[in-house]
Amino acid sequence: MMLTPENQADAPQPAVPAEAATIAMSCRVRLARNLAGERFPDWATERDRERVLGAVREALSKEAPELSMVPVSGIEAQERDILCESHLISKDLLKRAAGGGMAVARDGTVCVMVNEEDHLRIQGFAQGLDMQSAWRYADELDTRLERRLTYAWSPRLGYLTACPSNVGTGLRAGVMLHLLGLRLLGEIEAVVSALERMRLLVRGIGGEGSEAAGQIYQVSNMDTLGIDEAGIIRRVTRICAEVVRQEYNARVRLLQESPLVLVDCLARSLSVLQNARLLTTAEALEFLSALRLGAAMGLCTRLKVADVDSLILMMQPGHLQKGLGTAMTSDERDEMRADFLSRKVARVKLKC
Amino acid sequence: MKCELCHKADAETAIRHEIQGEIQELYVCQGCARQTAAPPASAPSAPEAGQPPPPPEGMEMVPLMGMILDAAFEIVGRAMNLAEPACPACGILRHEYRKQSRLGCPGCYTAFSKELDAAIFDLHRATQHVGKVPQRAQALWQRRQLEARLAEAIQEQRYEEAIVLRDELRRLPGPDAKEGGPS
Repeated sequence: MMLTPENQADAPQPAVPAEAATIAMSCRVRLARNLAGERFPDWATERDRERVLGAVREALSKEAPELSMVPVSGIEAQERDILCESHLISKDLLKRAAGGGMAVARDGTVCVMVNEEDHLRIQGFAQGLDMQSAWRYADELDTRLERRLTYAWSPRLGYLTACPSNVGTGLRAGVMLHLLGLRLLGEIEAVVSALERMRLLVRGIGGEGSEAAGQIYQVSNMDTLGIDEAGIIRRVTRICAEVVRQEYNARVRLLQESPLVLVDCLARSLSVLQNARLLTTAEALEFLSALRLGAAMGLCTRLKVADVDSLILMMQPGHLQKGLGTAMTSDERDEMRADFLSRKVARVKLKC
Repeated sequence: MKCELCHKADAETAIRHEIQGEIQELYVCQGCARQTAAPPASAPSAPEAGQPPPPPEGMEMVPLMGMILDAAFEIVGRAMNLAEPACPACGILRHEYRKQSRLGCPGCYTAFSKELDAAIFDLHRATQHVGKVPQRAQALWQRRQLEARLAEAIQEQRYEEAIVLRDELRRLPGPDAKEGGPS
């Protein structure tokens, strides 16, 4: 089935190939909420933000004691990087020294950011395309907090948010997709263009304004008003399932029609990872992306997709420094990253 | 906003008026603008046929494009800080929220509703929320609606209706949120 705006509405849910988990890396549902009668964080004073933080902390302690609140000022520099790289919190939250806070569940299924762009950003996380679970985690926590907090809301516009682009449900449902197969076939631009025509946002791995480094894309809904939460979740899941199928087909076609292109890409990437002496984060991500594709297609020995996902996280600045137990300059990190990755992929070989 | 001279019609135009060397700027309706700009009876000469009357000395008409031409509003509006629309709840000015693309508080949705409604439709292609309804927020919104209707009923001496509204208010959960919340 072609990805066109005409066939995306209310189409029956097609079966997602078993390989979906290697293409849809993870998903997230974010709910933007604000407290009635309080200035939005960007315009609030430190005192205002501290008051909001206190109200949320109290609500969490009563309704969700399993989540403990940590003020941003209390998070160490190295931990901040790790939290950002894990996509639990945003860099914007870290800029909010006074009044910023976060609370995360031990199992990593939910995380709340306080005083980021909105007073609350409730996030639910799940693996693959399991958007229903991510929605359930965020919705349950939201419903519990709402027993204690009076949200800014109106019957006409729904949840009132700092930016009108989030007004209504305040819900952003996003999936992280690895689309290297479509890139190698030169079809990625057409898919991204089709997604945008269907009013979906397509961003890079780092979120708003970032490049799709490593051909990892975040796809999420644009509209938050005029469609209910279940409708948004269904729509994003259905369209992303179709993209997953297209990526899967692209990988099959690559193997059948252009095996040399595929193998060349894998071999070059593996060579660099095994032999480079200096690697920036962006470079490493590009080569690991190729290796991830090889692992997903069973073309690499001693390498699983989960291993590559782990390397993608571990080679980032905060994780790298924590793993080595020392703070480093950017140049030192590039050297350490190259060394770290060359050791990790030293025994990997291509089957083709 | 209302005309700053007659306080009846909607203001559509800004005028600059020099009084004792000081320039005052006012938002006025078309009627008052014409009246104020008309040449005084003792004007030295009548305008030529077909030509608009020249503004009297010290006064000039400033066309405002308002919602239509943002650029014009920015230039004129900045020069007229006093008349620029502001949110009564948080005090944020129109150009301030436009610059940052962030509203000041939930009350801004009411204060700037005219232009925001158009922007929201452009963003979402919808104007009506469907979906989750937070119970506490809904109760607060209902309370505010009832309070407004009650005040109006008392003002207009519709006491029987006021009693009904008062009883409805009493049945609602107690207010515990600050003022200035949802619109």
